[in-house]
Amino acid sequence: MTTLVNPLFEADSGSAEPAPRLDTLAGKKLGLLDISKPGGSVFLDRLETLLVERHGVAEVVRVAKPTYTKPAPADVLEGLRFVDGVIEALAD
Amino acid sequence: MLATKDVAADFTLRRLDGEAWSLAAATRDGLVLLAFVETDCPTCRLAAPYLKRLAEALGDRGERVVAVSQDGELETRALVETYRLPFPVLLDDGLEVSRAYDPPSVPALFLVDGEGRVLRSSVGFEKAEINQVADAMLSALGLPSRIIAEADDGAPALMPGCSSRHVEHGLDVDTGPAPEPIDLRPETGPRASRVEVPDDVDPYEYCMSAGFSPFLPVVPPTAERVDAFLDEVPLPPDAVLGLVPPCYGQATVEKVAANAVMAGCRPEHMEVLFPMVRAMCDERFNLHGVQATTHSATPLTILSGPAAERLGFASGAGVFGNTARANSTVGRALQLIMTNLGGARPGEIDMATLASPGRFSYCIAENHADSPWQPLHVDRGYAPEESAVTLFAGAGLSVVSEHTARTGAGVLRTLAATLATVWSWRSCGRVEAVVVICPEHAATLAADGFGKERARDFLYDNTGVPLRAYEHEGTEGTQLRASYEEILIDGEPHYRKFADPSQILLVVAGGTAGKFSGVIGGWLSGPRGSQMVTYPVRW
Repeated sequence: MTTLVNPLFEADSGSAEPAPRLDTLAGKKLGLLDISKPGGSVFLDRLETLLVERHGVAEVVRVAKPTYTKPAPADVLEGLRFVDGVIEALAD
Repeated sequence: MLATKDVAADFTLRRLDGEAWSLAAATRDGLVLLAFVETDCPTCRLAAPYLKRLAEALGDRGERVVAVSQDGELETRALVETYRLPFPVLLDDGLEVSRAYDPPSVPALFLVDGEGRVLRSSVGFEKAEINQVADAMLSALGLPSRIIAEADDGAPALMPGCSSRHVEHGLDVDTGPAPEPIDLRPETGPRASRVEVPDDVDPYEYCMSAGFSPFLPVVPPTAERVDAFLDEVPLPPDAVLGLVPPCYGQATVEKVAANAVMAGCRPEHMEVLFPMVRAMCDERFNLHGVQATTHSATPLTILSGPAAERLGFASGAGVFGNTARANSTVGRALQLIMTNLGGARPGEIDMATLASPGRFSYCIAENHADSPWQPLHVDRGYAPEESAVTLFAGAGLSVVSEHTARTGAGVLRTLAATLATVWSWRSCGRVEAVVVICPEHAATLAADGFGKERARDFLYDNTGVPLRAYEHEGTEGTQLRASYEEILIDGEPHYRKFADPSQILLVVAGGTAGKFSGVIGGWLSGPRGSQMVTYPVRW
């Protein structure tokens, strides 16, 4: 028998249940998170129009990360606290 | 919020040990620091060890540091036990004192003088503020000045706090049950588990199949080998050197030692590996982004100072290759730690399109013997007799031949042409670069009177992308050209490649034969990307 020291990260990072899916977009308040990659805002502008015009979304909240290289800071997430759903936009 | 010169409202609160504590009595013979804290505020928990260090620096007057907890006795007691806080901790039941001092957020510091007036007040965590408070308290007691919050201890220079409880309660929002408190910089972590490998299983194969290093065989981290390392290290095995992004696994001394054993390090190499881990976990380096990007950047370590020779790091011929155990294994240990504790497994969290050979090991030392210039660690603020590691999020090495130029300017012009292509040719002002000057080129530069700074400035002024390169719309870098600076290089209009001379770092390394220097482009630089960080070589 050889005894080894475990070199891996051992803590249980936990698990979370995914949020329930929205049954409809009509009348909902949606958050659009722009991660600030080039072109992301162009895509989101169009998406916002389509969500409102075609799917009857009641309100769109737009927030943006200061940089795509880092996790969203607390104040950006705070802006998405009271929405029914979030679409996170990557880009390039 | 009470500000400088305001009267610090007197109050009496119960200490955690049950005794009554009054401000008027405490300030009777001098300065008192009140620190308002919440037990589950990550910033308060970040500040706690510094308050402890300040109290310890005050010696038998350590009780002049006083925490005012905005939470219940149970949570407060847990906080005190976690950080082994040696100073009085008061319970602000009902938050009346918090309302009187009215900080918008915590941690909030109020330094109160013997007259009962506020000398200074602040909110959030800020190293400079802690050091200034310490200066005031130490000098008032006639004690020597001491830095309580070191710039390069791995903690951020500043961090905003959480809303003060008295403000939070006023909002009347049900925030639900309090989550588990998060420690941004835990001092200790759990010990590593032990794995028993049966005799009929080859330990080398076991390490690969168990995911310790699925891509390249390693030395099995047996308990004996790891213990031998721990015997050489003047830190306890459960001490935490940093949290490794993006999964924020705790880099305890024991876990780092186990990975170093696997990489083939010698115990004495830990002296360099430890600051490398601290530097990599420094928020400014943004390892989160470096690990998760699709780009090829990975930490390049540049060791500078006498520790390199003492510990057997190569700085001369073949410096980027298989030339010295120290470079190969210490660089590899860092990469194993990034994967095993940071969680950046290729194809999962590490989504690099191509990655680079540096992902195996990327560690060089500066060639002081053949450099005409001041060492890198001295440029970065350390004394010549000290040593330091500088980490740079770099892509691969581009080798540049210049065997014909006889002048320093000639050598630099050739290097500038390669420098103009880092990241992407038409993209300007976004990245940093390391220029590895070989000894023969360094000698040519020195003979022509180029100091390091002048050589760097020459590269800054002569590295650009000609405007004619932007005739094809829709290529990377063209969309941002309005923000570029137009300059003339050899009479032709160019966009300047680098936003600032400091984005070019010159290092002398490599062998004395061959006029090959090297260029290493970075990832996105600056506060929005990864910043180069330097940490001193010390335990």
